[in-house]
Amino acid sequence: MTSLEEKIDEAKRLSLQITKETDDDRLMTLSVGPQHPGSGHFRFTIKLDGDYIVFVDPDPGYVHRGHEKMCEYRNHFQNIPHLERPVIHDSCNITYAYSLAVEDLVGITVPRRGQFIRALASELSRLSYTLYWLAIYGIFLGHSTMFMWPAGDRELLIDLLERLSGARVTNAFNIPGGVRNDIPYNFKEKCLAQVNYFEKRLKEYDNIFYNNPLVRQRTEGVGILTKEDAIKLGVTGSVLRASGVPFDVRKVEPYDVYNEIDFNVQYMKTCDSFARAYVPVLDMRESCHIIRQLLDKMPESGDVREKLQFNIKSSPGETYKRVESGRGALGYHVVSDGTPKPYRVKASVGSFRNLLALPFLLTGSKLGDMPAIYWSLNYWPVEADR
Amino acid sequence: MNTATGFIKALESGTKHIVLKRFTLRYPEEKLKFVGDGYQFDPKKGVGIAGTRGRHILFHDKCTGCQLCAIACEGIAEAITMVKVDEQWKQNKKSIMPQIDYGKCVFCGLCVDACPFYALYMTNDYELSSFTKSHLIYTPSQLAVKPKYDGEVEIKIGSRGAYHG
Repeated sequence: MTSLEEKIDEAKRLSLQITKETDDDRLMTLSVGPQHPGSGHFRFTIKLDGDYIVFVDPDPGYVHRGHEKMCEYRNHFQNIPHLERPVIHDSCNITYAYSLAVEDLVGITVPRRGQFIRALASELSRLSYTLYWLAIYGIFLGHSTMFMWPAGDRELLIDLLERLSGARVTNAFNIPGGVRNDIPYNFKEKCLAQVNYFEKRLKEYDNIFYNNPLVRQRTEGVGILTKEDAIKLGVTGSVLRASGVPFDVRKVEPYDVYNEIDFNVQYMKTCDSFARAYVPVLDMRESCHIIRQLLDKMPESGDVREKLQFNIKSSPGETYKRVESGRGALGYHVVSDGTPKPYRVKASVGSFRNLLALPFLLTGSKLGDMPAIYWSLNYWPVEADR
Repeated sequence: MNTATGFIKALESGTKHIVLKRFTLRYPEEKLKFVGDGYQFDPKKGVGIAGTRGRHILFHDKCTGCQLCAIACEGIAEAITMVKVDEQWKQNKKSIMPQIDYGKCVFCGLCVDACPFYALYMTNDYELSSFTKSHLIYTPSQLAVKPKYDGEVEIKIGSRGAYHG
């Protein structure tokens, strides 16, 4: 196994060589995306020597919309609907991090029932995001059943989110001060039934996809990211956990009610594409377990929201709060100068950090392994561009 | 697990679904049943009431023309503009009421949270498509109409899997 420095040196040497020998017929330049069915709004150019990738140049930025700058012209409540746009499937987690930061600046605590409800919404949101990601991973590997099953089962969770918040994907549910509304009548039974059924479906995913010999042959032993390299490259979320590091923000820095919840951080030590594809499924099982506990431990009655003024002024200062999203640690750094609008908002997202591992993993692998490696990184192009 | 059992198990879990119930919602014939009559907000308690966030409903006898909904929408979608109406109401001296452009609205419902007079709610009506852009602009009189929505299908979980019924 070559170390990170050696591989980086090798890549630098190769890239120097390639720029010198641009007329060489031996190398072929191939552009993947942005119109490739699996790449998302993202393009990367690869140079091929025969069947092997020798050089990768990721080119993000196709869907950059400057939402960090947009935050400076809106107050904290008006920021919520546009902040959740990058990953609408995981909207509750994004607004969760921003709400935690604003609550810290304003200096309020959310009522206990509100904390449970927004943790519940975030877990449902995480499940629905992970299913969407899994559907694309399935179709990227050419397994069309694995596209249709998660996309269909996602409806179970979208239905719950719609009952809870009123919208299917762009929920705008977690706001500074708590949640928008209390859970509706009969929600607990409905949620329990659908989440339990969904957990049974995960076993069928194992049978048709993860234990399928064809999928195993395409993903096992492909794109090895060792523990040391993963830590040095700074990857996060499921990619980090697949490399054998049991890191989860919910466990390391518990926010809200997560220190009362009993759950394990799921990780694998095989470090390959299969592990990166399977750790999200283990996470989904944990999420189902967490949802059952949240419903069980939730106080029967009480406030769900600390009422704040629409134009709430925060004291001058800065804060950084992070949560565990579907793609890893997601943090918001909010600087306030005492006016209702934030002075600066900076997002630290999991997608961009996982993108850094892409050139490292692809260099030296075969072209046929590219889909299995690329989408296993749990990378969401829109979130990386912001 | 060896290769043969792996393939057999994969085929088995797929073919099993021939006899299971279909999960798909046959949309125009069947429609989902929602919680309540749409998202509402109680300004006294400061908490919303769970419901679907579809098109708005405006109660002309309660609207005072205070523009708080339009101010809340500034910087989000800028979908709300205040327009002059012909009606005369005691509480609405300026005779202005919100007009909503559904080509711009993102259905976040923060305008409902902003209304202190119980005048603006949201309804279950989400089928707003039209042939022209101008038809997407709903005037105060169009917003006053209570929509008809008769969805009655829910997700049910039986012994033969989940289905819409």
